[in-house]
Amino acid sequence: MEVEFSKDNFLLPEMKYEYLDHTADVQLHGWGTSLKEAFEQCGVAMFGYMTELEYVSVEQCFEIEAKGDDLEGLLFHFLDELLFLFSAEPYLVCKKLEITKFDMETFEISCRCYGEPFELGKHPQGTEVKAITYSAMQIVQDTTANHYEVFVIIDI
Amino acid sequence: MVVRSYNDELKYLEKVSDHCWRIKKGFQPNMNVEGCFYVNSRLERLMLEELKNSCRPGAVGGFLPGVKQIANVAALPGIVGRSIGLPDIHSGYGFAIGNMAAFDMDDPLSVVSPGGVGFDINCGVRLLRTNLYEKDVQPVKEQLAQSLFDHIPVGVGSKGIIPMNARDLEEALEMGMDWSLREGYVWAEDKEHCEEYGRMLNADPAKVSMRAKKRGLPQLGTLGAGNHYAEIQVVDEIYDKWSASKMGIEEKGQVVVMIHSGSRGFGHQVATDALVQMEKAMKRDKIETNDRQLACARINSVEGQDYLKAMAAAANFAWVNRSSMTFLTRQAFAKMFNTTPDDLDMHVIYDVSHNIAKVENHMVDGKERKLLVHRKGSTRAFPPHHPLIPVDYQLTGQPVLVGGTMGTCSYVLTGTEQGMKETFGSTCHGAGRALSRAKSRRNIDYKEVLEKLDQIGIAIRVASPKLVMEEAPESYKDVTDVVDTCHAAGISKKCIKLRPIAVIKG
Repeated sequence: MEVEFSKDNFLLPEMKYEYLDHTADVQLHGWGTSLKEAFEQCGVAMFGYMTELEYVSVEQCFEIEAKGDDLEGLLFHFLDELLFLFSAEPYLVCKKLEITKFDMETFEISCRCYGEPFELGKHPQGTEVKAITYSAMQIVQDTTANHYEVFVIIDI
Repeated sequence: MVVRSYNDELKYLEKVSDHCWRIKKGFQPNMNVEGCFYVNSRLERLMLEELKNSCRPGAVGGFLPGVKQIANVAALPGIVGRSIGLPDIHSGYGFAIGNMAAFDMDDPLSVVSPGGVGFDINCGVRLLRTNLYEKDVQPVKEQLAQSLFDHIPVGVGSKGIIPMNARDLEEALEMGMDWSLREGYVWAEDKEHCEEYGRMLNADPAKVSMRAKKRGLPQLGTLGAGNHYAEIQVVDEIYDKWSASKMGIEEKGQVVVMIHSGSRGFGHQVATDALVQMEKAMKRDKIETNDRQLACARINSVEGQDYLKAMAAAANFAWVNRSSMTFLTRQAFAKMFNTTPDDLDMHVIYDVSHNIAKVENHMVDGKERKLLVHRKGSTRAFPPHHPLIPVDYQLTGQPVLVGGTMGTCSYVLTGTEQGMKETFGSTCHGAGRALSRAKSRRNIDYKEVLEKLDQIGIAIRVASPKLVMEEAPESYKDVTDVVDTCHAAGISKKCIKLRPIAVIKG
């Protein structure tokens, strides 16, 4: 669902993600000082594989919701929702994700997704993401060091 | 998972012939049958190295090597014969890519696994012939490559140009290539040269989520990205002149077009949805597997049946997809040579599916049994006289299309009686990855890859040039090794070698 947002004081987050080795696919690694941030970073990492994010400007904002049976399931469905946002109307490429609700008891997420529709010619074509997988999925929560990491293999 | 040293692991593996290894029970827990894999000496080294790397003490993360995945599949309920690894095998999601396994339809505990089909349902290869020769195409090669690139939507975010609305999609899902035929995109004889005649009859669009349909609609008639491609190729060598002539291939230098694509976002979403459903079914029916990723459901359960019906719809989508690109290819050639596709004799030689599950009859221990055969990164290769292959190929055996990597070569093989006995009529599907994508990106420069292709006279049009190194030949096993192994092991027979002169990629 498209929602309004203001471009005033709009800040892009710093990059806290990388791509790791896997024979046929690619592993996304996102991290942050909260689990919420690690999830957001992981989502942006996925878009970064589909195109080059420096060519993307923030023009629209869509809100998505995701729900899982456990934390891994929540991460899976969160990324699946984002992939769907790109794969069909509005074909959105996100440069920033902002999780506004992160419920660790019911495993629900609401997220504001900032970006613009993918446009050939404007956005370089990267690799297509076929699906999110549970393969070697890891969610690391180090509450004492305030360090959170997620690892997800996407099928490409 | 059992943790053993590499040398202890090797005790469970036995080389039974020059090209085949046996995986004994106990290599992984609860194996119902043995496993096996086909390799030659070079591929064997890659295979064992992968296993060795996974045996490092204290290793975290990482992934299961292909040989372990074959053994995990051997532990699934209802499997018969052996869990088989083809020479192009590499580690995948649940099942390895290049793994085939058959399940007894009459055993109520038998399962169907979306991981045994893959995310790209009915990913496959289609080969079109022409009556042109290399000398006809060389002078206009660049223009022709450009024209194909302009006709066929490729790469991430591209949308199909065949007009479609939601109702058309429903019909296409149900009818497969019959839809393409009705709409005038293909020729009647194209269907004859497709597995299943381009239509799985049990397809039920009602079993497909709205999400899959929404992902599928804009992508119908698009090539995709990753390892998908359309190539203009020339016949480089003919090993079996008689079989080749049955396919309309007369001499070296003849030009053909190979299209490698699948069911796009539609199939990917069908697979994703099924995996989520099956996780629940597994808990309910208490199905235990060695690997969480081997999500599966009993064939006779609601989830199992729903998946098979949705998978069939995705298979139909893929055939319509390849048919739409066939139409566009014919248009591009006809325009370039100022004639008609008919006069260019642009017939479909064959169309194979290398990510699919099908109900087939096979002989097991001397008895005919009805099996659900999963082929993931494996191609059906039926022998001569098999009732399911078209009349034109009754005497040659089914043509098997093996796509190589960008800029190397591809092969046409034929099915054999021995393959029918040993591998449930299955063989390899391509080269199989050897290097990870990230490693390819670090170690190979895309400009070098493009220059190299240019030097050997291959025109290339690619939507994401910076990613070509992921698909560079260095990233893959040698397709010739793979095909030679299948030939030497007798599970299929070499017929034609093809060499690319123009590549169109996502």
